[in-house]
Order: sequence, then structure tokens, then C-alpha cells
Amino acid sequence: MKTEKKIRILLAKVGCDIHERGPLTLMTAFRDAGMEVIYTGRYQSPEGVAKAAVAEGVDIIALSDHTGSMPIIAESVLESLKNLGAGDIHVMAGGLILPQDLEKLVKMGVSGNFGPGTPLAVIIEHTKGLAAGRIS
Amino acid sequence: MKEKKVEFDRDFGHLVRTATQSHIELKSHYRPEDCRALSYDFDLGDPGQYPFTRGIYPNMYRDRLWLKSFIVSYSSPEETNEAFKQYIASGLTDLRLLADLPTQSGIDPDHPAAWNSMMCGGVATYALPVYEKMLQDLPLEGVVYELAHMGITNFIYCYALLVAIMEKNGLDIINLRGNGINDPIRAKLVYECPDLPTHIAKRVWLDHIEYAVRHTPKWKPCVPNGVDPQQRGMEAPKELGGCLALATTMIRELEKRGISIDEYGAMVFSLDAESDFFETIAKFRAARRMWARIARETLGATNEKAMQLKIGIRTSGLSLTWQKPLNNAARVTLEILSCVLGGVNSLDASSMDEAVGLPSLEARVFNLDAQHIITHEANVPLVGDPLGGSYYVEWLTSKLETETNNYLKEIETRGGIFECLESGWLHNVMEANRLRIQREKEEKKRLIVGVNAFKQEGEEGPINKAIREVAYRVPTVEDREAKVREVKHFKESRDQRELLKNARELYRATKEGRNITRPVIEAGKVGLTLGEVTGLIRLGYGISYDPFEQIGIPEFVRRAVEERNQA
Repeated sequence: MKTEKKIRILLAKVGCDIHERGPLTLMTAFRDAGMEVIYTGRYQSPEGVAKAAVAEGVDIIALSDHTGSMPIIAESVLESLKNLGAGDIHVMAGGLILPQDLEKLVKMGVSGNFGPGTPLAVIIEHTKGLAAGRIS
Repeated sequence: MKEKKVEFDRDFGHLVRTATQSHIELKSHYRPEDCRALSYDFDLGDPGQYPFTRGIYPNMYRDRLWLKSFIVSYSSPEETNEAFKQYIASGLTDLRLLADLPTQSGIDPDHPAAWNSMMCGGVATYALPVYEKMLQDLPLEGVVYELAHMGITNFIYCYALLVAIMEKNGLDIINLRGNGINDPIRAKLVYECPDLPTHIAKRVWLDHIEYAVRHTPKWKPCVPNGVDPQQRGMEAPKELGGCLALATTMIRELEKRGISIDEYGAMVFSLDAESDFFETIAKFRAARRMWARIARETLGATNEKAMQLKIGIRTSGLSLTWQKPLNNAARVTLEILSCVLGGVNSLDASSMDEAVGLPSLEARVFNLDAQHIITHEANVPLVGDPLGGSYYVEWLTSKLETETNNYLKEIETRGGIFECLESGWLHNVMEANRLRIQREKEEKKRLIVGVNAFKQEGEEGPINKAIREVAYRVPTVEDREAKVREVKHFKESRDQRELLKNARELYRATKEGRNITRPVIEAGKVGLTLGEVTGLIRLGYGISYDPFEQIGIPEFVRRAVEERNQA
């Protein structure tokens, strides 16, 4: 029997968005699904999130935002990751994602882009696929 | 060809639970003996009579309808001003102000941490000219204003701006009417608001209240808020208990400053109209009864007004779904109805498109129209407390009172509401219940239409699609860059001597333990920004200027503080 390496994931919120139920819900859901989860808490900077991701050696960053600013946030996090030479860390997103932003995010390489109330099983499946390299 | 057989299920969509949203287990019906312990005169009274279970006015809505309100705060002060004018024409009677998320956290738009949420959720309210633009042509007297922000710095600062505008226009501030949430428990418990640590927030909170009671008696400077703790996981008895505990603490603290509960007058709470219809109604009734009893029996109120609780409402944003947003119209309507049946005094209804983006004009006019329909077509407000005497509602009201009292005792045993916040106990209670609800949803013991049940099959229809498409535009990178330029330009254009003088006075008042409200008003008048006022208060306590630890101290602030320290 082979033991699989646990997926490590950083849940992150950037800026002053206060909506926290999404990441809190995912924190337990990811844990229950056997992943190792770290949550940054609110009021983080993009550089701080990228640094934490590198320091913690995570496979995935899951960004949460409910202000509609996800493309702006994702872009700066991706840039910070690149600056740290950690462009291989996957970035997925969820929260209030406007339809007109979807394409932009996908183009940047941000996957998932889940709206509120997405079944947890769908998000977990996506996360596993992302870590296994089945989704890019 | 074989035809697909239609499956028929008579019990499709059947009930999945027998308890209220807050886990109060219910019988299938209630009987007179369930309410036998109730005495009409002692526990209910007519509307307008102690303990005000049935409402605080004898003729209830016949004399005055509830105030119709919602937060109006778009990206720019000009847009917000325009929106206010449109809504007032549609029947808005209570002007609820908010700011963008960085402002609410205590920082200016030119702070690096502001960028990612700038102008999101409201106006970047960094200084007086913003308020002057936002409130252009709107009356300042004879109008109810409400401040719905998060950080404690915001309440004293935005109140100061309102006072400053009145004084600059030669109006008597005694006529300032309305309220601010100004709830230091909510600021930390729900938001972990970075502006001030709780021990400093508590001082600013009380300074602001003391000043307002003495100088603007029609302004309620603290409205204990149950809405956001409830949205974050607290059940109804804990939502209510938290408000009662904070209100009690506030009155006791004011007594130390020489203000009695009779002088403070009526209390106002901001409560949540949740999905559970009858529980929400019973909660409002229990809230009035409990405050009346606490005010009279525990806090020694002798004036009837001081025993009255006014209830301001925000209908649940959490109950609204991103899926099938049209359904939110039904949710909001039911929540509005529960408020009217529960005898509330002001009502901020969420919009059907709120889970999709910031509310659009049409969705908000729907909220106002729903209230007009309830009033004029359904005739609901003709009779006060129409559910009074219902075996179920009376039983549930008493049940909530008992549960809330138990919670209050627990808070007291643990040293009071601030100690329960600082020890993390409140957070644990809230988080445990949030997890419980999360599991119930996963296990389908709590059904949310369109989310974990009755889902949309196939492509979304045109009506739902349209609601999604009108969702409000988010400020672009260019908008944000322009805002930063505007703020920098404003900061450079101020009178340096006045800045220094007022910064020094605010710092000194903070350090010497004097009431800081007047210095904040004067600082606001000469253009000190919210971020600078927050920083000066922090420096006055010997902690860092920037709550985010990312920026340095502005030159004039450094001078104000240094000169003082040398003196």
C-alpha cells in the first residue's frame, strides 16, 4: 500500500475584506478531506501571502475575496510568487467572482473561481486534481 | 422506443427538521398550558406599556411607521449622493452611511494595505470634503442618519464629520439625529478590526458616547449589534444576550462618568432578521421585554423611556444565495414581514442581488416597494403585535428569554462581556455553532433552496441571469490610482500650521485621559484624515502609528508628538 503525500494548502485573504465564512468553511472541509491547511487570517498583503506560501511549502494557495477585486488580488499574488521564484505554486480562487472577471482569471492561470455555495465536494475534487497536475 | 417513466413522489420536498434555526426543539402545536406561567400585565402589557413586549408605542404603526433604510455607499461620494436622492424619492426615510473596507479598518486610501479593497463596499471616507460631497443638498436637521461601520475609530470620526459640517453651516448640533453602531465587541469578535486594540477602543467608545449624550442627545452613540455576530455563527439567544450584556456594561460605565440610565434614555439594538420566521418575531418581542426588565430592575431606571428598547434591523445577508438570485426576493420579503410583525422601529432590508454584487437601484426599490405593499395592500401594520396571544409565539418568546438569561449568567460568571471577548470564549461559542450549522447543511438537515436542495437543472433562466448581470461594477485599477492621487493631493493642500496644532491637541487629550471627541471634531474640520486620527490615538497610547505596521509616521504628526514629549 502506498502512502500518498498530503496536499498542503494555504487559505488566504488579501486586503481589508472582512467576509470570512468561506475560508472557515473550507478550512474544516479540506482538513476533513485529509489535507494540511493553513489559514492566513484577514488583512494580509499579497507579498505576505506569497512569502507564507513559500515558507510553509504549500502546493496550492486558495484565495478568498468578496469585494469583487479578485483579478487585482490574484495578479499581485502571482507577481509576488514569481519574484520569489515560486511560480510553480498553484493558485485557485473563490468568493464573489464577477462573470466578466472569469476569463481574466483563467488567463492568469487562476483556477477554480468558485462562487458561494459551491458544493464542497466539487472544490475538494478540484483541489486534488490541481495538486496531482490533472488540472492546470 | 422505450419511454422514460415519470417518477412521482407525494412527499417530495418534505420537512427535514423539527427545531428552529437556533436549535430550539418544537412540538407540533402549542396549547394554553404552554403559556400558563405568563401573566398579561406582568409579561406582556399592551403596546406602549411596560415591559413593552408588544411594542413601545400605544398605537404602534398607526402613529409612526418603521423607518425604511438601507446602507447607501457606492465607490464615489458623488454616486452615493445621487443614489441617496433617488432613494429618498422612493420612500427612504433613514440615511445609513458606510465607508469602504480600508476606511472601516482605520486607514486612508493611500495606505498600501488599502489597494486591494479600495472603494469596495462604500465610499473611501478619508476626510471632511468627502462627506461634504456625499451629503451635498441633503438636510442635516430633521433627518435620521445612521453609521454602520466596523472600526471604533470610524464612529467617532464620522460623527465628528457630521458635527463639523453642521457647525460650519451654523446649525445647532443638538438637532443631530440618528445613531452609530459603535460596538467594540462586534468590531473584534466578528471583524478583528485592526484599527485599535480593545482596551483603547473601549476608551474611545466611551468618550464618544459621553460626549454625544451631553451635546447631541438625539444621537444614539452606541447600538449594540447582534446582526453580525449572528451572521458569523451566534444563535438567536446569544445574539440577543451579547447585545444585552454590552448595553448593561455601557450603562454601568457611563454611571462612572456621571451619566444615569435615565439621562441616556431609550436603548437601541441592531438585530438580525433571520430566515426563521417565528423565531425572529419572538426574538424581537423577547428583546424588548428583557431590556425593560434589566433597565428597571438591574440598572434602576425610573424614566419609562429608559426602559424602552428600539429595534433597528438588518435582514440577513447570509440567508441570500448566489444561486437562483430571484429566490432572494422571497427571502427578503419574508424577513421584512417578520420585522413588521415583530414591531421593529427601523428596517434595513437586504437586496435580492446582494449575494451577486453590490445592490442595484432596482433591487433596492423592490425592497421599499415590498414594505409599501405590506403596509398598504396587505394591511399588516394596522394592528400592533398581531401575533400576541398566539400560544406558539408566546411560548417561543418566553423560551428565548430563558435561554438568553442562561447565556447572560454564563457571561457574568466569566467576568463580563469584555473578558469573554478577550479570553476567546465568545469566539469559541460562535465558531462551534458555525461549524454545527455547516455540518447540518452538509448532512441536509438544513435545506437551502438552490444550494443544497432544489437546485437548478440545466442553464439558468433569463430572469436570474438578468439579476446577475446588473450587479454593481467594482472600481478598476484606474479608479483606484485616481483615488490615491486625489488623497495625496488633498493631504498636500492642507494648512500645515492648523494640522500641527490640532494633531498636538488630539495627541495630548488622548495621553492625558481627557475626552477626545471635541479634539477629533476640530481635527476633522482642518482636514486631518481618518488614518491620521487613528494613528494619533494609537501614538497617544504609546503603540505604533500604523495598525498594519506598513507605513511611517507623517512629518507633521511626528512633530506634534515630539514637541509634546519634549515639553
